[in-house]
Amino acid sequence: MNKKDNFVKGIIKENPLFVSLLGMCPSLAVTTSLENAIGMTMGVFFVLVLSNLIISLIMNSGKLAELVKPVRIPVYIVVIATLVTIVEMVMHAFLPSLYFSLGVFIPLIVVNCIILGRAEAFASENKPVDSLIDGAGMALGYGVAIMLISIFREFLGKGTLTIWGDLQLNLTFLFDFLKIEPIAMFVQPVGAFLTFGLILAAITAIANNHKNKIAKEVKNNG
Amino acid sequence: MNKGLISGLVLLGMGLVCGILLSVVNYFTAPRIKEVEDAIKYEALGEFYDLSDFDISEVNGTGDFGTIFILKDKGSDDIQAIVYTVRAQGYSDSGKVEMLIAVNSDLSVEDYKVVSHSETTGFGADIVDNDFNVDSINDLTSFDSVSGVTKTSNAIKTCFNLISQRIAADLGGGLSE
Repeated sequence: MNKKDNFVKGIIKENPLFVSLLGMCPSLAVTTSLENAIGMTMGVFFVLVLSNLIISLIMNSGKLAELVKPVRIPVYIVVIATLVTIVEMVMHAFLPSLYFSLGVFIPLIVVNCIILGRAEAFASENKPVDSLIDGAGMALGYGVAIMLISIFREFLGKGTLTIWGDLQLNLTFLFDFLKIEPIAMFVQPVGAFLTFGLILAAITAIANNHKNKIAKEVKNNG
Repeated sequence: MNKGLISGLVLLGMGLVCGILLSVVNYFTAPRIKEVEDAIKYEALGEFYDLSDFDISEVNGTGDFGTIFILKDKGSDDIQAIVYTVRAQGYSDSGKVEMLIAVNSDLSVEDYKVVSHSETTGFGADIVDNDFNVDSINDLTSFDSVSGVTKTSNAIKTCFNLISQRIAADLGGGLSE
């Protein structure tokens, strides 16, 4: 697999959220606003890229890798937990509103299946540069997914799109035009499941349509 | 040497390296975090009282108490109000709920605010800006819990209880600056 394919697969083909259905709990919880989703993406990007790189460096280090192998899972956890704690401290210090908004879901990045999954399935068996690219692609794929969910939820639930801090798009005029109110249910947990399910159904429909088209073309040509 | 023991030592070594790294990051971020938390507290204090009317002194609390702010009329030794930073365990194991509670010298509760917590967004986090219906620090019978978040609400009640146990002594001069 070339580097471009390695990077793009995390965003579309092997999207951790929409295809592998990993790390769903924090993803559904923090997507009440676009700002939260952007903040969570930044945190996951930092942790996933660096954990993939560090773990790959350790597991490609010859003799050290042999010693680490029997205790590799605790080693992964130590690396990931350290990176998450760094994210937590930096966010608390420099982005306090985001820190309080994301709350307990920042430390919970430690147990996010995507991160431990990529460490064990990819970083431990591939070269550092490939692992770094894989981490970046997967983190961006995760980010695109949660930002998409948050856009639907915030727009339908509040009529706004909060990009960062005071930078907020007020789209309530669209609701005024349609003479309806924003549907508050979408920023509640039930709205998260509903939005996720609908997006997943749309993606599956598009994927099936694409597959049928290819099958038809193959049939016509053959 | 036993291979398992060596692997254990490698893990220990990694733990030490990570610990050192975290202490370095903490060294740089801790002062900034303290500044952020103080700014939040003073912002809340400003919402409770017109700070220009008072001389404000701070006392470091012990146990579940953080900074305690003593408000006296300008040029006077009489305590007009005490604002407590107090913590109690909520639902989340990641951290306690921390509140600022302002109590006037007549034991009436001027105001209160949750300044930090690790409660779940959409559930326990609903305690922020909630009205718990507490008017007097010695009377919590009218306390209103948030429906569905009992543990977090109990943490808030514990904060009020902790203050009610010491307020009389503090107003009587029990707080040394």
